[in-house]
Amino acid sequence: MSSIPTAPRHHQVIDRMELFRSLAARRTDEIIVTTMTATLQWPLVSQHPLDFDFLAFGMGHASDFGMGLALARPERKTIVLKGDGGLLMSLGSLVTMGRYGPGNLMVLLLENRSYEITGGQALPPRADFAALARAAGVEGGGRTGTGKVERIETLDAFEERYPVLRREPGPHFVVLPVHNAEPLPPVAHTDHAGRIRNLRSALGVTGEVSQGTSKDRRPAP
Amino acid sequence: MSEPGVSAAGALAALHTIATTHVLAIPDSENRHLYAAIDDDPDIELITPCREGESIAIAAGLWTGGCRPLVLIQNTGLMEAGDALRGCSVGPSIPLRLLVGWRGYLGARARRIPIDSAYPFTEPLLRAWNIPYSLLMNDDDLGAVAEMDRTAEESSYPAAVLFGNAFRP
Repeated sequence: MSSIPTAPRHHQVIDRMELFRSLAARRTDEIIVTTMTATLQWPLVSQHPLDFDFLAFGMGHASDFGMGLALARPERKTIVLKGDGGLLMSLGSLVTMGRYGPGNLMVLLLENRSYEITGGQALPPRADFAALARAAGVEGGGRTGTGKVERIETLDAFEERYPVLRREPGPHFVVLPVHNAEPLPPVAHTDHAGRIRNLRSALGVTGEVSQGTSKDRRPAP
Repeated sequence: MSEPGVSAAGALAALHTIATTHVLAIPDSENRHLYAAIDDDPDIELITPCREGESIAIAAGLWTGGCRPLVLIQNTGLMEAGDALRGCSVGPSIPLRLLVGWRGYLGARARRIPIDSAYPFTEPLLRAWNIPYSLLMNDDDLGAVAEMDRTAEESSYPAAVLFGNAFRP
């Protein structure tokens, strides 16, 4: 009988709340899109007008929404905090990010190897998310050809790396192995339309049309 | 009366009329000439995701950020993208502009058997979502695009134009 394949062994994981506290302390004017369990814990450390709770906006599509925002608002970074279970719901998004992802998009993949919000059911054990992103063309890709994929396994490494991630062009796809030791606040669905209105207001969006990033005429490699 | 089908140039001009900044589209047999025209256009950005749910979520992000995206989508893709449509447009009152290809329309009109199963569900599906729509069958109908744009804007809700013939070069 063959042995059951298991996930690559990673010896270090980051406490998710510590990660969130660290990110909140370093964040300046970035848009931060959260989904699933991140929507429950991020508000414990941040109440910023550019925080956007994507919960119930469409399963697996937080980074797609974030990409649209980043394309529309090139003057600032858009950071998406999403889980590995959500990524599996729209894996093709990685290919789209590898082709069109703008330099101001940063996806922080919170890898906990489970569907945490529904009770911790296990994810397929052998998927390597950084390798998937590389194979999808994110590394060296995106609309400016400056995409980067990396894995960060400690809070110290994240804190050292974050200023660079914030400064240099991406799109960035960063895998962060995390665990959570704290009780999750209850899910509270708030007004969908109100969340959108609030974010548009915080971004200063009026009736005037933004052209976003200019049309990319870069020839295909 | 114009010949059947809509000219890609006419449709592209209609997209300019409503100040479209981005089109999210996956190519199909009916939209390919319009797809090519948008790709060649210097002002409208064409984004080709892998699946239609991505199209809708990206469009929602673009609109939230102040752009004016339009989703060019086949009826089959709209069926695939149901949860994204619910979560990223219907629920949060995002006035998504939809140009929907009606796969199966021509065969059904010609009474060709079997009827494409995508055909009979298209209008009931739009009605189930309460998405107003009008028909775009030839160049005489191109005003439907501006009407769809006004409806979406005034209602803060998605609105659609349904096209049954392939776009002409």
